[in-house]
Amino acid sequence: MSTPILELRNIRASYGSIEVLHGVNLTVGRGEVVALLGPNGAGKSTLIKVASGILRPSAGQLVIAGRDATGASANALARAGLCTIPEGRGIFPNLTVRENLLMATYSGHKLSDIEQSTYARFPRLAERRSQLAGTMSGGEQQMLSLARALATDPVILLLDELSMGLAPLIVSELYQQVAAIAAEGVSVLVVEQFARTVLGVADQAVLLAHGKVQAFGKASEIGEDVLASAYLGS
Amino acid sequence: MNEDRIQTFTEEIGELKLRGARADREHWLLVLGVVGLVSGVGMAIFGGFQASGSAILGDQIAFLATGTLIGLALVIAGTALFVRYSLARFMRFWLVRLVHEHRSETDRLISALKDIESKLQQ
Repeated sequence: MSTPILELRNIRASYGSIEVLHGVNLTVGRGEVVALLGPNGAGKSTLIKVASGILRPSAGQLVIAGRDATGASANALARAGLCTIPEGRGIFPNLTVRENLLMATYSGHKLSDIEQSTYARFPRLAERRSQLAGTMSGGEQQMLSLARALATDPVILLLDELSMGLAPLIVSELYQQVAAIAAEGVSVLVVEQFARTVLGVADQAVLLAHGKVQAFGKASEIGEDVLASAYLGS
Repeated sequence: MNEDRIQTFTEEIGELKLRGARADREHWLLVLGVVGLVSGVGMAIFGGFQASGSAILGDQIAFLATGTLIGLALVIAGTALFVRYSLARFMRFWLVRLVHEHRSETDRLISALKDIESKLQQ
């Protein structure tokens, strides 16, 4: 078995004196899609912040590609190939689609190459290339954020609440794209509040509640009863 | 994804500079705010007393400049730090309380629904 691309070992994280993650373990293999599920306030977004280097854990280890990366800065990790799409998409609403893609050229790729791969993957963005990103639909904005992330040639992709505010059909379409991205060898850790939307494409699922892992296993093995008890707190 | 990309990624991760363990920065900034506030007040009072106790204008200006003015600057900076981090702490506890109340409400609702379900089955 190859070395996991991302590992969180006994991670504890806190905001000031309030501890949010109480010893979380999580592993993402190469080319794997891991779904991080859990109700509001479970600590999912905090875990993404720790994995991306935005928040330093108070204890535990962040191991990337077998190397200890605890304490590495978020921009250094991003430059190496760990890309985060935050909750709320993180696009520039006052720039056009093309200008948003231009922002991804910091990674050293030519705009023409980025445009070519983006429009091949998301033909709808080609029609919108001169439109202000903020005036597009939520699904198109999410496509743009995915396209901009992929332009940086990531090895690990961290997605926070991809489905937020989107219609089920669009969400399903986006998750098909996520599955295609993983098939190309990119490892994906996706945070999702709505379990059913992501379990169809995920290889593994981690159920987080009250800052602790409640269940971990193959996505197909996470039962309805486990999900219900975690979400409803019964 | 080809092996070269993974190899490059692994090498770049290996070369990253890691920061040491972080102390609780927020806690220390709050303490710094209190220290600045208290020492600023002390300096301002000390400067004022020294200035009023001297008949020489040059000494008075020097005491006011080094004691009172720097003291006041420390008071302002210390107060700003104290308010900023006290508010952050308060807001966070408030948020935790909301989450806790929300969970308790959900637990009570689930329990009530179970009671109703069991009574209906009887």
